[in-house]
Formats: sequence, structure tokens, C-alpha cells
Amino acid sequence: MTGDHLAIEVSCLTKRYGDVTAVHDLSFVVQPGVVTGFLGPNGSGKTTTMRMMTGLVSPTSGTATIGGLPYGRLARPSRTVGAVFDANAFHPGHTAREHLRVYAAMGGHPDSRVTALLDLLGLAEAAHRRTRGFSTGMRQRLNLATALLGDPRVLLLDEPGNGLDPEGVSWLRGFLRQLADEGRTVLISSHALGEIQQLVDDVVVIRRGELVAAGPCSRLAGPPAVLVTSPDADALAAVLTADPVNGGGTAPHVEAAGPDRLRVRGLDAPSVADLAVAHHLRVHELVVETTSLEELFLHLTTDKAVT
Amino acid sequence: MNHLIRAEFRRLLATRMWGGLLIAAAVLGGGMFGAMALAGPENFDPPMPGLDTEAGLRAILGILGYTAFVPAAAGALAVTSEYRHHTAAVTFLFAPRRGRVLTAKLATYAVVGLAYGLVLAGTAAVALFAVAAARDVSLGLPATTVLALLGRIAVAMVVYLLLGAGMGALIHHQIAALCVVIGYLYVGEPVLMMIPGVNTLYPILPGGATAALTDFTYVADAISAELGSGAVHLLPPVAGALLLTAYAVAASVIAVLLPLRRDVT
Repeated sequence: MTGDHLAIEVSCLTKRYGDVTAVHDLSFVVQPGVVTGFLGPNGSGKTTTMRMMTGLVSPTSGTATIGGLPYGRLARPSRTVGAVFDANAFHPGHTAREHLRVYAAMGGHPDSRVTALLDLLGLAEAAHRRTRGFSTGMRQRLNLATALLGDPRVLLLDEPGNGLDPEGVSWLRGFLRQLADEGRTVLISSHALGEIQQLVDDVVVIRRGELVAAGPCSRLAGPPAVLVTSPDADALAAVLTADPVNGGGTAPHVEAAGPDRLRVRGLDAPSVADLAVAHHLRVHELVVETTSLEELFLHLTTDKAVT
Repeated sequence: MNHLIRAEFRRLLATRMWGGLLIAAAVLGGGMFGAMALAGPENFDPPMPGLDTEAGLRAILGILGYTAFVPAAAGALAVTSEYRHHTAAVTFLFAPRRGRVLTAKLATYAVVGLAYGLVLAGTAAVALFAVAAARDVSLGLPATTVLALLGRIAVAMVVYLLLGAGMGALIHHQIAALCVVIGYLYVGEPVLMMIPGVNTLYPILPGGATAALTDFTYVADAISAELGSGAVHLLPPVAGALLLTAYAVAASVIAVLLPLRRDVT
């Protein structure tokens, strides 16, 4: 499968447990070559969706395919998809090497791959220790090693940042970035935005099992706002909303952002500055404000955002 | 399939259970059984016929058959440990055809059960003949018959290990599976035997089938005496063996079929 670019396609996916609908009519596509963040509050259905992608949980209705095939029909699943769900999925009496050797045999991967992954993930020294004594970081790395045994083109990680120290998170970032740059499909779920903010290119946001937003972060965040500090804020606001210079047709949106401060959307910083000068209004500070993933997430997933 | 069986052997051989199981076989066969033979069934409380009688020899071999809970528990433990340690999800990611995973497990455990049974029967044979020679007792059955009975016990161990594995795959929860397997064999079935009407089913229950395998009529006779009703007759040994195998096959088939659609969370 080396070199394949495989998209994950989720289509009208629904999962009900009795009266509880965990996932409702969910559709989105995860593209290869980028890192996609799968975001949502705890209990929003992220894990259930990822388990349905890999056939561990059967959907009530709808489909999830990887490279066009449902997981169960992949010819060599562990060469196509690597997935990590539980932070702690080892027999406590097995050593790291023994654990990997079981799954190397199962997937038909050579034992040399076990040694290579132990080295790659910095577990060589712990290879002969039983996993019951492993730290959280070591467990995460052993999970990742297991998922990577088949050198898969698609990587699914459920809450990979849980319990990692800042150094570990930074390492994970670099590692996943490299995998995406190799054309692989990387999907990581998270409820903690800070840890994946700089990592993801695309996001899929769900809430209560339903899709809220999907697409590149930059597009979802919308154009940046301009924050203007001016003692003449009221006059400036009037000028900005009234001025015909804005040829786009839609009037810029201006709101108060504190005393003597305005948040302007729909105009870029140079335009705001030029207009202020043209009307002899003072500008003390001009800041371009990009929406952080966290704000976007809160905006998309809090109750008032859903109308 | 070969990949899956190799993986299951690796999984099993990497734990300490494997060695422990063979030690248990030697302790039960050579140790416990040897000690019973050495003491002599005639000195049991209540006394049983001696080793020089056919009934005595069959009885003591029947008691050895009762240690089948050890491989049954091992089978249940081995299968449920995948759920307990959350490796089932990883396993089904590597091998989404779950029926094949369980089939590979059962094939692997059949080999393990056979190793267990051979160690148990082998050490028991050595102990029995050594005791007979030391105590200068001439056994109540020809040596070939004794060896054949021990062979049947070894087969019973394979079947019980598979029964345990099947129950483990059905129940998933480790402690619950152990309670069901051991509880049924040692509490459930004896309690059933107290219920008039139900106890006539003894010959076709797993315990009765195991007893039939070695012509161990001690429990059946006890039930008959207790009830004062007509004697409960065991199945012929071959029928007992077949019935026991049918139980194991049924447990395995259910175990193979049932997890196919069950969600792994």
C-alpha cells in the first residue's frame, strides 16, 4: 500500500444504543496528506465514530470507508490502517517486545519491524520490561508502535495527547506532521484544544453526535478581525460602517471590544488605518486578531452557537 | 490462519500462565494423584475400594478427572484476558474476521490442553505404577486398561480447556467466566443433582459425561442412594467422550459466532 493516498469517508453514520443516539447522521471526509483534528466535547461521539471506522462497533445505519472499502473488507488491514484507542491495551505480563511480536505475527509483519519500531519510538531500553511497569508516555509510544507495525497509510489516534508531558506532545506533533507529509491520512481526536492547536490542518467538529463543522482550520475560522484602539472609537465606528470605500457590497461589521476599542470584521488593517487618517481620527493601536482553534471550538460547540 | 495461530502461541508463551499450567499438571498428576494412590483409597474417609480392585482404581482415576476445572479455568482466563486488558480491540483491528481469531485461539488451546493432559496423565501413570510397585499392590485393572483410562482423562482435559475458552468468549468478564466455569462444575452441577427429576439428567451433563469417560460411578451411585430411586446409569465411555466433545464444540461455535457482531468498546 506504500504511496497510496487513502481518504476516510463517513457517510450518514448513525449509532444508537437503545434510546441513546451516540452518533447521528454524520458525514465527512478525512483527506490524506494532512493532519485532521476530530474535535468535540467529551461524550460527543468521537470514539464511537472512530470505532465504527475500524469495524469494532457496527453502525446502526450509514457507512464508513477507508480508501473506498469498509474496514472489514480491507485485504491487509494492519498495512492499511493503524489505530490506537485504549491508552493501556497490553497484557501486563508481556514485555514491550513480546507484545509487538504477537501483533507482528498476527499481521504477517517481519520481526525486524518490531526492533525497528522499538528503536524509532525510543523503547529499545524498555523492550524487555513487562508493560505493567510502564509510564503513561511509554504506553502511548508502545500503542503507537503497535499501530505502525504494518507501516499503514492511515493513522487513527483517539486522544493521543492524554497523559503526555509537554515534551511528549511536542514529539508527537513532529512525528504526525512527518507522517502526513508522506501523504498518509492522519486523524486524531481530542477534547483538549491546546495540545493539537499547532498540529492540525483540518478539523471535523462534532457535538452530541452531530456534525458542527468540517474543513480547513483557516476557512472555518473565517477572515481575521482587526482590533482598533482609538480615543475616537465612536466616530471611527460610524466612519467604518458608513464608508463607501468598501466596494464588496457588504458593510463591515463593527463591535465594541472594551473602552475605546473596536473589533472590525470585513476590512483589513490597512483599510482601517487609511480610513482613520482620511477622517482625521486617532489610532493608538491596530492588531490583527486570528481566531484560535479554542475560540472556534467553543464558538461551535457551546449551546448558544447552535440555533 | 497460520499468522493468527502463530500470534496466539506467541501471546500464550510470553505469559507465565503457560509454565504454571504444566507445573499444575505435574503437581496434580504426579503429586496429588500419587499421594492419593500412596495413601490408598481404602484409607479414605469414607473408605473406598482399594487399588487392587477395579472399582477402586476407577474411582481414584475419576477423582483425577475432577481436576478438569484447572484447564477449564485456564481456557476461560486466556480468552477473557483479551477483554480484561483491552487487547481485544487491537486484535480485531489486526484481524477483523473475528471468527478466524477465535478459531485460531481454539486451535492453539487444543494443543495446550493436549500438553496439559499428557503431562497430567503421564505423571499420574508414573506415580501410580511406582506406588503399586512400592506398596506391592497388584492393580485391579491391566496396565493397558489403566493407560487407556489415563488417555481418556488426557482427552477430557483438552475438551475442558476448550469448554472454558468457549465460556470465556461468551462471557467476556474474567471473574464472571471463572465463577461460571468452576461454579458450575463444583456447585451448580452437584446442586442440580439434588433436584429430583433434574438429577436423572446427570449422565448427559458435562460432569456425568466426564464420569462416563472413566466409568467413574461414585457420584451417580451417591445420587441413586440419596434418592433411593432407581440407579442413575452413566453413558458408555465412547458416548461420554462424544457428548463432552459436543459440549466443547457447541461452546466453541457459539463463541465463534457470537462475538462477530458484538461491539468492542
